[in-house]
Amino acid sequence: MDGTKAPENSETDIWSEIGTTRVPFQVYQDAKIYAQELEKIFYGVSWNYVGLECEVPNAGDFRRNFIGEREVLMIRKDDGALSVVENRCAHRGAQLCQALSGNIGNAIVCPYHQWTYTLDGELTGMPFKKGINGKGGLNPGFDMRAHGLVNLKVENLNGVVFASFDHNVSGMREYLGPDMVKYFTRIFDGRGLRVVGYERQVIDCNWKLQMENLKDPYHAGILHLFLISFGLFRLDQESKCLVDDSKGHSVLMTAKGTEEGKEDTGGVRIAAPDFALTDHDLIQPRLEFPDNVTLSIQTLFPSIIIQAQCNTLATRHVIPKGPGSHELVWTFFGFEDDDDEMKNLRLRQANLMGSAGYVTLDDAEALEFSQVGLRGSHVGDAAVLEIGGTDCESNDHLVTESLIRGFYMRYRDAMGYGKAGV
Amino acid sequence: MDQTEMSQPVTDGVILRRIERLQLNYISSIDEGPLDDWPKFFTDKCLYTVISRDNFDRGMELGAMRFESVGMLVDRATATQHAAVFAPRVIRHVLGPALVDDTGDGYRSRCNVVIYQTSPDGDTILLMAATYDDLIVEQSGVLKFKKKLVIYDTHRIPDSIVYPL
Repeated sequence: MDGTKAPENSETDIWSEIGTTRVPFQVYQDAKIYAQELEKIFYGVSWNYVGLECEVPNAGDFRRNFIGEREVLMIRKDDGALSVVENRCAHRGAQLCQALSGNIGNAIVCPYHQWTYTLDGELTGMPFKKGINGKGGLNPGFDMRAHGLVNLKVENLNGVVFASFDHNVSGMREYLGPDMVKYFTRIFDGRGLRVVGYERQVIDCNWKLQMENLKDPYHAGILHLFLISFGLFRLDQESKCLVDDSKGHSVLMTAKGTEEGKEDTGGVRIAAPDFALTDHDLIQPRLEFPDNVTLSIQTLFPSIIIQAQCNTLATRHVIPKGPGSHELVWTFFGFEDDDDEMKNLRLRQANLMGSAGYVTLDDAEALEFSQVGLRGSHVGDAAVLEIGGTDCESNDHLVTESLIRGFYMRYRDAMGYGKAGV
Repeated sequence: MDQTEMSQPVTDGVILRRIERLQLNYISSIDEGPLDDWPKFFTDKCLYTVISRDNFDRGMELGAMRFESVGMLVDRATATQHAAVFAPRVIRHVLGPALVDDTGDGYRSRCNVVIYQTSPDGDTILLMAATYDDLIVEQSGVLKFKKKLVIYDTHRIPDSIVYPL
């Protein structure tokens, strides 16, 4: 801390003495910090993933999702536009829709007392509004307009739908910045999308550890023995780690087949070096984007990951469930114009990902090891992030933790902690 | 997919006992090991899918696992033992009685299954409630799975799926 200005969040400014290369272990397990994250990040000035437009093709279709711990509904309106409202009745707070998705017709009706809302969340009526025989009912002065559902700001970026509780948030393109828009639209190029299927799992670790994992290329050539064994990922592949100006969003990507000679495995210990695949169909990708990139992982602040490994494409939505747990929802998708071969490739390569994935299984386990390991930590204990130096900049190699350092720059900013000195 | 209209219930006690034995040996290869035995219960060309009831009911084929040959099953068994990082655990399948029908193309066997998982610290959780929907054929006098669908209701898996199910 430079001492010129007290940070806004001084009471809990656990960062004040440290730079970009340390993350205090409290941020992964402190209930008070977690509560602040929900308010300041998820319910604050941020765009949050709520689903794919193709999940709600017809008027009245809805998909239920979470922003932080609050439930929201993405709804297709009669005019074709999308609305996002909180899934909580303005009357007594009951959950409105219980199904994960479905069709609610032309009105949202609470199952408890049938308070009824438009698909935008405006309150239109309720039974016995005027009572019975002039007795009971609502006070005539009751302002219906002041008792609608919480309505969120919505933006649809090439078929991917984001929402914000804060209507003052900048537009999605500005939020992402031009570089991140470029990589986002590399995959979401405007073609119609189709959902290939869902997977959901609970991983008992703080939500930020999940985000860190996808900003950590260093682990990929070490932990993922499956990828290493089959030459699917090498730390010496042509690669990029890019961060946006805010440092909160990032992309990491690698191109296969560009490396030359014997791999420098950096001393990674491989248990079964002779292990070869019996059936290679699992890992025969087809190039489908206009470059030779075979793996790209984009992470958008605060909690959505867009994965494109070979032909397995998915959004991974990180939903916090208390300081020590999160739900990971995978929406595997393809394009409307996928041919039969591509449809099969997407189904087959999905074996790499998801709750049983050859690759992501290791991640989920390692993340839980992290959370368990943190339990015994003391105030002052912190994660060490010095691989690749101390900066938070873009790189043309993978042996770096710069993207994680960047994430915490953005996080500190959103939480009102003081900026880090590098 | 639904072959029940063409199917006849199997009443032959010998066949029913052989199918029960196949299922019990199958789960034993996972629960007790060795896992290398697990692929041996399938025909060379086969379909093994672990799929959520949610996807299944939506007509989506995406599975947590989806293998189309014994080779892919062998790879999964090998990778699980030699190229994966996970905390040790014990898996325990509990099978319900099977409904068995003769479809003309093989025996269709459907039974409920619950799968428990126990951690190194000794905590047991219910990993999933599921059902098997299998197509079983006889090859050289041995019954094998030509198709095994593991359709799980627990579509928010409380952990990861490490072992085949």
